[in-house]
Amino acid sequence: MQSLLKEFSAQAETAGAQVILASSPEEIAPILIEHLRPLGSLIALVDTPLVKAADLEASLRAAGFKIEEDGAEFARQADIGIVEFDYGIAETGTMAADATDLKCRLAAMLPLSCVALLPLASIRATLTQVIDNYLERGSWPNYLTLVTGPSRTADIERSLTIGVHGPERLLIIVVGDGGGKDGH
Amino acid sequence: MATKEFKQRLHRALNNSSLRKALESFGDAYVISREAVYSGRDFEALRQKIAAIKSEAAGRYEELADQFSRAVEARGGRVFRASDAAAAREYILKVAQEHGVTDLVKSKSFASEEIHLNEYLQEHGVNPHETDLAEWILQLMPGERPSHMVMPAIHLLKEEVAEVFSRYLGQPVEADISKLVRIARRELRKKFLTAGMGISGANIAVAETCTIVICTNEGNARLTTTVPSVHLAIVGLEKLVPRLKDIVPILEALPRSGTGQHITSYVTLISGPVPAWRGEGESLKELHVVLLDNGRSRMAADPVFKEALQCIRCASCTNVCPVFQLVSGQAYGEVYSGGIGCILTAFFSSLEEAADIQSLCLSCRRCAEVCPGNINIPELVLKLRHRVVDKKGLSPGYRIALHGVVSKPKLMHSMLRAAARLQRPVTGGTSFIRHLPLFFSPLTKGRSLPAIASVPFRNLSQRLEQEYKVAKPHLKAALYAGCVIDFVYPQIGEAIYKVLGRYGVQVTFPQGQACCGAPASYAGDDETAVKLAKINIAALEEANADVIVTACPTCAVALKNDFVELLSEEPEWSERARALAKRVKDFTELVNELTSGEDRGEYKGKEQTVKVTYHDSCHFKRSMGLDQVARKLLRSQPGVELVEMKDCDRCCGFAGSYNVKYPQISAPILKRKLNSIIESGAQVVSMDCPGCIVQIRGGLDQLNSPIKVKHTAEILAAELE
Repeated sequence: MQSLLKEFSAQAETAGAQVILASSPEEIAPILIEHLRPLGSLIALVDTPLVKAADLEASLRAAGFKIEEDGAEFARQADIGIVEFDYGIAETGTMAADATDLKCRLAAMLPLSCVALLPLASIRATLTQVIDNYLERGSWPNYLTLVTGPSRTADIERSLTIGVHGPERLLIIVVGDGGGKDGH
Repeated sequence: MATKEFKQRLHRALNNSSLRKALESFGDAYVISREAVYSGRDFEALRQKIAAIKSEAAGRYEELADQFSRAVEARGGRVFRASDAAAAREYILKVAQEHGVTDLVKSKSFASEEIHLNEYLQEHGVNPHETDLAEWILQLMPGERPSHMVMPAIHLLKEEVAEVFSRYLGQPVEADISKLVRIARRELRKKFLTAGMGISGANIAVAETCTIVICTNEGNARLTTTVPSVHLAIVGLEKLVPRLKDIVPILEALPRSGTGQHITSYVTLISGPVPAWRGEGESLKELHVVLLDNGRSRMAADPVFKEALQCIRCASCTNVCPVFQLVSGQAYGEVYSGGIGCILTAFFSSLEEAADIQSLCLSCRRCAEVCPGNINIPELVLKLRHRVVDKKGLSPGYRIALHGVVSKPKLMHSMLRAAARLQRPVTGGTSFIRHLPLFFSPLTKGRSLPAIASVPFRNLSQRLEQEYKVAKPHLKAALYAGCVIDFVYPQIGEAIYKVLGRYGVQVTFPQGQACCGAPASYAGDDETAVKLAKINIAALEEANADVIVTACPTCAVALKNDFVELLSEEPEWSERARALAKRVKDFTELVNELTSGEDRGEYKGKEQTVKVTYHDSCHFKRSMGLDQVARKLLRSQPGVELVEMKDCDRCCGFAGSYNVKYPQISAPILKRKLNSIIESGAQVVSMDCPGCIVQIRGGLDQLNSPIKVKHTAEILAAELE
């Protein structure tokens, strides 16, 4: 696991993402509060088991962030989107998610900053393994997304510029199970 | 005859300096980043895998399309099978109108450009907004043509983009790239959030799971397929693959070959309708897939061109193409450019539209080396050229030259002899023609033409046979000289006699030999090529030699491969062609065998060494694979120090009659080659193709360079001065 994590982090950072390790779900909130403060106050949060386990909504509200309501305007004005991914792919620093859920797609794409929560145990070596994992789940998702680094373009004078349509900042929080072996 | 419009396009592209600069610096950077992302990977194995997947699919489009359609419908989407562009356009408009759409967003789709969707929608009151940054910029510049398939606005400077945005916003905009990108984000975000429909293309379509795979870096395809309540994907039949697992090798190659990335920022796999916000709440959006044929089935049924359906649209063939780097996509068809572009255009648009652009290919074969679909693009372009000639006939100039002269060896040889006498006013007694008057002048721009030798090799051969007579030869070789050695550089022929004599080989020169026919084949004139093949087979058979030796890779390929193919329909001749082909060897190949492959390593003698650099002739390296053999022979030659030049295997721009047809393209390609030669610091440049010698000697002559240009045979014959 450690070598997969190492390769995943190195590749994701080469692609322009920032990778932070939380050794347990409880550590997520303090890390986010510290890192998100300079990026704005309005958050589009997608509820997932990990978000619940970390009690993120309450912690972020307590720290003064505003959490967006569901509805037609969801994520449109948010500064930050928080979503959970299903798998990491070490080879390319990529994350995969079943993004059939509308909120998941909106929160990951509309705000200028995106926080991706990724369970440490879900990092795989290759795309082939991830495809196998989804196939094992039984039904193939209607909308599967692979994300590697922030949104980028080199369309003007081949000069690399980030944040063209999607997020310009991708913060990946790799979350350990609290077993203590995964910390730095 | 090239159309006027094509000539204008070519002229404009060649005279656009920012375009040239952008493409050159991209081309140089691309080669490096491509190599880096493929390091440690078996590219050959990968491309064979992709070729197998795509080729299998191309044999089963009907079945895969059915399977794909059933799966889409089972998941609640709709499929429309469009046989041609008009049917696709009408269906798409109908879907837009049914939903009262006035504005829609589009992520990049070649297929949509191929069917001229934007113009059609606009005419019917629907505004399509391109959301890929480069596509949007071009959309705001009516009349501007894309210059590259993957980076269509690569030729524009930030100042030009700022001007376009200023016009769009009605207020001045600063020419700062990150600010320009931020403006695009803000303006296009409005379109994403209000559009009634999103149209995407597809990079791959998986039949078993009806999955549409879309790769982008900007994320515009994700927004296009997320926000609007209707998603319509236009999918060419050639995007179909049978199994989900088939996407893995394609996704491995596409970004690596396309932009030198490991993966694009976003890869989206859509397999059915997903929720969108519709009116008062979330509900499933409408998913439509237009499966577009428009010439693809015809291509799949064509035994020759089916191979082109292995293309994954990475554009790496254009990235390494020396001609594309000069003329860009602006010289090609409106949608698909480069070598693969002319083939696709011929089927998806018309043969007429491909007629001019196919002639831009030099046949340097560099694209075939990098194609992740393992498509022999230059070979297909040549086959296309034959179809163009079959349909439209040869141009008058080619007709006179090929039918009237080249196909009649006696006439051609006496004309060359006459030219040798008559050329004195332009050669001034030197071995070059440095200037030509009037409208011939572009032919000597940047390069002198060689003078015709006063005595052709065929008149020297008898004397040489005596001079280099081997008492007890252990091998008899017949020299097939080819026109350039015969009539321009007979000294190369003499060097061959000298070197082979040294190894106990008796060389003869069959007098009945004629032009190998390659100039006719490359012009699409099989009639002349067949005639010449028969003349040469008969002449070379008569020599009764163990080996037919050549020192021109173009002739060698003709003798080894083309004759067999040209005569395949005449059993007796084809048998004779095959028997001959087995005996043909390039000079370096033969010398290597005669020295029993013994590698003496680098010469370590005491003599003063001469720095020699080696130019890889396209066919010598890519068709015959002898590039390392030649280097080995040179390295072991006493007094030679081999130094490599930059881009040693880049074409010199000669390419047979190409340099006469397109001097304006050939000249800058040569210039780059000359710079590499000069920068290498070598005193001599060696090569194995007499055509390259014509081009490079002529170029160095106009620069008054002291660098000597030699055929490897001349160096092995120790003729270094």
